[in-house]
Amino acid sequence: MHEYSLACEIFETVIETADKNKAIAVNSITLEIGGLTHVSPEQLLFCLDVLSRNSIAEGAKVNVNFVPPSGECECGYRGDAGVPDKLRDEDQPSLYEYAIQTCPVCGKLLQLLGGDELMIRTIDIEI
Amino acid sequence: MLMHVVNVNKDVLKANNEIAQSNRKLLIRNRVFTMNIMGAIGSGKTTLIEEAINALGDRYRIAVIAGDVVAEMDASRFEKLGVKTVAANTGRECHLDAKLVERSLADLDLKNIDILFIENVGNLICPVDYKLGERVRVVIVSVSEGDDTVLKHPMIFKSSDLAIVNKVDISEAVDADPAKMKADIKQLKPSIPVLLTSKNDRISIDRWIEYIESYIEE
Ligand SMILES: [Zn+2]
Repeated sequence: MHEYSLACEIFETVIETADKNKAIAVNSITLEIGGLTHVSPEQLLFCLDVLSRNSIAEGAKVNVNFVPPSGECECGYRGDAGVPDKLRDEDQPSLYEYAIQTCPVCGKLLQLLGGDELMIRTIDIEI
Repeated sequence: MLMHVVNVNKDVLKANNEIAQSNRKLLIRNRVFTMNIMGAIGSGKTTLIEEAINALGDRYRIAVIAGDVVAEMDASRFEKLGVKTVAANTGRECHLDAKLVERSLADLDLKNIDILFIENVGNLICPVDYKLGERVRVVIVSVSEGDDTVLKHPMIFKSSDLAIVNKVDISEAVDADPAKMKADIKQLKPSIPVLLTSKNDRISIDRWIEYIESYIEE
């Protein structure tokens, strides 16, 4: 996958934001990863760890929140895509499970909404 | 020492989409019909694009952006057919992104192009997350990849507008069932048209060409 280039972009944004706020250290970074992306959190975290060595973000804790996609159906149903919100990566349903989610009301294949994001939500800095 | 939480709220993946949107606008403004051709290495992307160039080249002005990790081998195959070709080398990346396409578009005379094929890097995973500015997304899967390939890579089929199961003439030899592959694709996305093709079956290639033309005439 492309975790390295994504990690570079995240790292650059973090350092830029930290500099702008005159930070002396970055304590933590909070990311949101959509359930439909192909991003591997483990690899992403590894790349971020390597990139941030010898920078003010060295050792920063990276929190990852997973965003489950929601679903929409022709029949008017709109809600979660049938897979409950789970916090740990290993509990995430597979892309295949998401891909075949059907509408709980009428049984048709759900149109998935969202779940394709990789957000840098916040950074926690020391100034 | 002060602790401070800064809201960043930046979507790293969607940053690509904004460039893709501007590519798309540029292509529409210049009336260039653009297809993003995705599929694994060896699925037949280059061959199917060559067939399209051979069949449509005298009626339409065609150009190709050929994505390669390093080499320019595919690009030279298209150049031999007399179409303008830009090799987009990704370096170490596993997919084309909108920025690379934006740069490649600058090397093309868009006013004098009717059809632009973007041959993506051979991979069923990474191209899914990166829109390029294309009108139509095509995924090509060959039977030699195994008939369980579709369900292993659901998102590329969900995100595509046209799916092609290629090399069906060798199905028996590789013990794959193209009908199962088609059914799996339809299960993931009932609305997607699925073509079964083989370069040795002229009728199937003609259907591929007809599809391209039907999009242009829309
Ligand atoms: Zn429904």
